[in-house]
Formats: sequence, structure tokens, C-alpha cells
Amino acid sequence: MPWKDNYTTSDEIGIRDANVVWPDGQQMALGLTVNLNPAGTAKGITAKDLAYPTWHFGLNEGLGAFLGLFAELGIRATFATPALVAEAYPDVIARILDQGHEIAAQGLLGEDPATLAPGQEAAHMERATEVLTRVTGTAPKGWFALSRPDDRAATGCATDDTVALMKAQGYAYIGNGLADDAPYYWVTDAAKAEALLALPYYYHFDDTFFLMFPREGTGLERPGALLRNWRAEFRAQYRRGRYFNLCVSPARSGWGHRFENLASFLREALAHPGVWAVTGAEIAEHWTAHYPSSTHLKLAPSIWRDYADSLS
Amino acid sequence: MNQTSPTDAFQSLVDTARFQRQRRVPIPDFAYPDGVKIAVNFTLDFDAMLLRRLLNEPWGQRAKGEFGGRVGVWRIMEMFDEEDVKVTLFTPGRICELYPDVLHHVVARGHELADHMWEHEVYPDPAIEDAHLSRTLAALSSIAGKPVTGTRSSHTPGLLTSKGVVYNSFTSASYMPFYELDAGGENAILQLPFHYALDDAMFFSFGWLDTPNQAQRVMDVDEVFEIWWDAFEQQYRQGGYVNFLLHPFVSGHAMRVDMIQRLIQRMKTLPGVWFPTCDDLAQHVLAQHPLKDLPE
Repeated sequence: MPWKDNYTTSDEIGIRDANVVWPDGQQMALGLTVNLNPAGTAKGITAKDLAYPTWHFGLNEGLGAFLGLFAELGIRATFATPALVAEAYPDVIARILDQGHEIAAQGLLGEDPATLAPGQEAAHMERATEVLTRVTGTAPKGWFALSRPDDRAATGCATDDTVALMKAQGYAYIGNGLADDAPYYWVTDAAKAEALLALPYYYHFDDTFFLMFPREGTGLERPGALLRNWRAEFRAQYRRGRYFNLCVSPARSGWGHRFENLASFLREALAHPGVWAVTGAEIAEHWTAHYPSSTHLKLAPSIWRDYADSLS
Repeated sequence: MNQTSPTDAFQSLVDTARFQRQRRVPIPDFAYPDGVKIAVNFTLDFDAMLLRRLLNEPWGQRAKGEFGGRVGVWRIMEMFDEEDVKVTLFTPGRICELYPDVLHHVVARGHELADHMWEHEVYPDPAIEDAHLSRTLAALSSIAGKPVTGTRSSHTPGLLTSKGVVYNSFTSASYMPFYELDAGGENAILQLPFHYALDDAMFFSFGWLDTPNQAQRVMDVDEVFEIWWDAFEQQYRQGGYVNFLLHPFVSGHAMRVDMIQRLIQRMKTLPGVWFPTCDDLAQHVLAQHPLKDLPE
């Protein structure tokens, strides 16, 4: 087995707390991801998804509540956006960009590329990039491969090819890496030590899996558990000086008691000195400048041995 | 025509029921070392992404496991060292090739390495099973610098005992350590029971063991702290035993390391709480309560 194919995506030891440095001596970075994908299943957005009442609540009142809160607190968020949503609602995108937030990509239709015919993933990514570039005026820097409520895993949908395709198409980071809770490198070619930056994500901080999950009408509503997770992880990561990402959608966390939870959490978090709450692109720019993969990705040589009686 | 009449099948199940009870030999008058009221084992199943790979799950799932090897295990072990708590890492053999540095690091600090299968699976072919167990024990003992005495697995008891493994931690049949005989009534092995209510993956995983989406209840650390404290306290009152089953890829997340540290610090406010490795506990039981001395 060359390197650790099929097992690992990065090097063997993550960055230690003491080595994490943020701009201007800030204590930690907070990445706020806003999920704009209405798709319920891996196939991506359907006509039914687009008719869904709470999706429209999210686009209007939910988004308004988000933008007001972020402006009040001076947070710059990252909106993970399927290209279809940008194409259909350019006014919404303009409103988000006007406030200094980032539009990042989330597929052409918010789909899982594993559902596409072989060879189609690159074409979907190219088209998504073209649409987002045209609507926003600049090429997207980040790509998110988040799970939808009906996916069999909560950890996202990167295929064997996704990250290498992103690198080839000029992306600066993938927005949902699970192998660290500080930014780290996702290896695309071990022999050439090529890698793409991954920003941490963990589904325990994603409202998709707590608010009327799996779906409205039959799912469970557990806003307290979500809020306690945010608070506990923020506290722990603030002390360590690392990174905290939460992922919310205006259709879910933009509403009522849930919005109150989000607002009180963010107000508490931002009341701490030195919380750098900026877009994924800004965090990625800082990280790749201070910790370039050429010097900070340390791939240990593989001592793996293949045996006839076990997996390679 | 059926070879077995319904009556024969009934009697056969009665015999099985009786045999199954006899296989589990409790230890009457169980006693800890002087001054100890309860033993608390923190045990880490260090499979990282091996099970995800075995099941061919997508990259996000494997990366979730990878967190345990490159971040979580270092962080949770640092906390255990701060608290001076010794733990046992049930470690698949393949992990010795993926993350050797951390294994050397923990061994140097007095923690125990024990078997957790070669690639997180026990295969039915006896030759493969033997090869996997032998390879895993060799890999772990070469890092530990001493023979491996424990396992958490469904490996065949006779095979385990033939290779010097004296305890298993893979049952919930009792609160307390006991001896378990194999299907032939032989090859006794000491069991150090765990319970799924003390398994982090039950509370903090999505899709664990192929559970459907509508069954997911991802819990927060405060809820689980209360459950685990209650479980500990119940056993503490009766001078019992608890064995917490943690996965570095689950409990190595920052908020959970903090929660487990709070749990340990609260346990330490009570007298007589012992935090041994599983091997420490097993050696005590084997010396003080050997099977041969137990009543028939």
C-alpha cells in the first residue's frame, strides 16, 4: 500500500495547542458556516425541496435575523451555497455579500457527488464554480461537502476525487474536514506532498442533526443539546486557543427559540476577548501563509505491510 | 421429516440454558487491595478509522476516526497524565503501523496496551484468527516491551489463553470481575465487565453500528456527565467496579476531554477510588482470587 491510502487523509500528528497562532495575538478563531442547502437527500435539490415552507421562512425572516445578528456582533460568516440557489436568488446573494460575508460552494444542486455517474463530478464542480463566479463576481475559494438530513453519514460527502478536483479547480479550502479541530491539510497526492487546506467541522455543532431531525413533523427537537454542545466546545477550544466551527441554517436556527439560542451563544462567545470571527477564506489565507503545507505537512513514511489475510 | 422432535429441542435448550449459567463463575468475597473501595477502569478502544475502512464508509467517516489517531488520543492521554490516572488502550494491531509514536509515548508513561484484534474484526477461519492474534500481540508487545495480557474481543478463549492472554473486557454479564469458561467448559479467562451505558459511542455517535437516521440521539456532555456520575456513584456505594469504554475519536474531542476530567476530579473527592490499568486489576484478582480457590 503506498503511504496510507484508504485509511488516512493527513499526517500522523495534529498541530499542538501551543503552536496555534492567530493574527494580532487573538486567542482563537470562530468559523460560522451558514448552510443554504434545502436538499433533503443525497440526490440534491428537488422541486419539492424548493416548495418547502420553512426553506422560504429561512430565505426571508430567518436570513434577515441572521444578518442582523452577525452585523450587531461584527461576525463575518461563510455561506455554503449550492450553485442553483445562487443562480435562482441573486438578490439574496447580493444581500449577503453586501454585509461582508463569504459565498462558498456547496455543489451544483447541493448533491452528494457519489450519486453521480462516473466522471460527472468534475463537470458538476466546473459548472457550480462557473455559476457562483458569475453571480458573485469572484471565484469561490471554499467548497463544502456537507451531509443532508437523509444521508447515511453526518460527516459529509467527499468522494475519492473531490478534494483533488477542488485543488485542480483552484479552490483554497474544503469547509468540512473532520480529522482535526484546527485547520489541517488534506493530502491529495502523497508522493508529491500535495494537499488542500481543510477547515474543521463536526456534526455535533450542526443544527441539521438536532432541530426536527431527521425531518419536520416526525423528527425530534433538541435545541438544548445543541446549545450545550456549542457552549462546551467553545469553552474548551477557547482555553486551548484553537478553533471552533458551528454550522447553522436560517430555515432551522433562524426561527423562534432556536434563534434565541444562537444569538445568546454568539453574544456570549464574542464577549470573550480575542475571538477572531471571520470567513473561511480569511482563516484559510492566514493558515496557508503561516503554516504552509510545504513546511507544516509532515507525512511519516508508511511502515505498512500487506498480508494476504487482511485488508490493504 | 424433522430429525429432532419438539421435546428434544426443548430439552436441548434447557441444557444450553444451564450450561450458559455455569460458564460464568462469580468471585465470592471479592476484595480490593487495602483502602480501595472501587476500581475505575478507563479503557480506550483505539480503532481510529479501521472499522470505517472495514465497512468501506466514505471519507468523512474515515476522517472522523482519523481525528482519534492524530489529535484525540494525544489530548485525552495528556488529561489522564495530568490526573495521574492509568488507562488501558485496547489497540488493533494495524494501529501500530499507523500511529506508532503515540503508542510509544503512552507506554513510557505507564499505560497499558492490550489487544483489540488485528483490523477490528475476528474472522471465522481459525488459521486467519490465529495469524491475526499472533501478529497483533507481537506488534503491541514489541512497543510495550513486555507481553500483552489482555484483550477486548470475541477471539476464541482457548486461542487467547494459549498465547498468554489472561483477561478479556468484553461482557456485561456482571458488575464485578468473574471467570468465564468457553463453550467446552474450559479455558477460563478473567472478564473485566464493561457496560454499553458507559460506552461513549452510544451517546456521541451518528449511525453507530448501522442505526437508522431516525434513531440518532446525539447527546451533549452535560447529559452524559450526569448519567456516568450516577452509574459510578451507584457502584461506589456498594464497593463495586466500573469500566468506561472510550474511543479517542469520540472522547478525544475537547469538550469531552473536559467532561471526563471533571468526572475524574469529582470521583477523587471520595475516598478509596482506584484508577488502575486493566492489567493491574487483573493481576490483583488472579493473585487474590484464583479460579482454583473458588468454591465448586
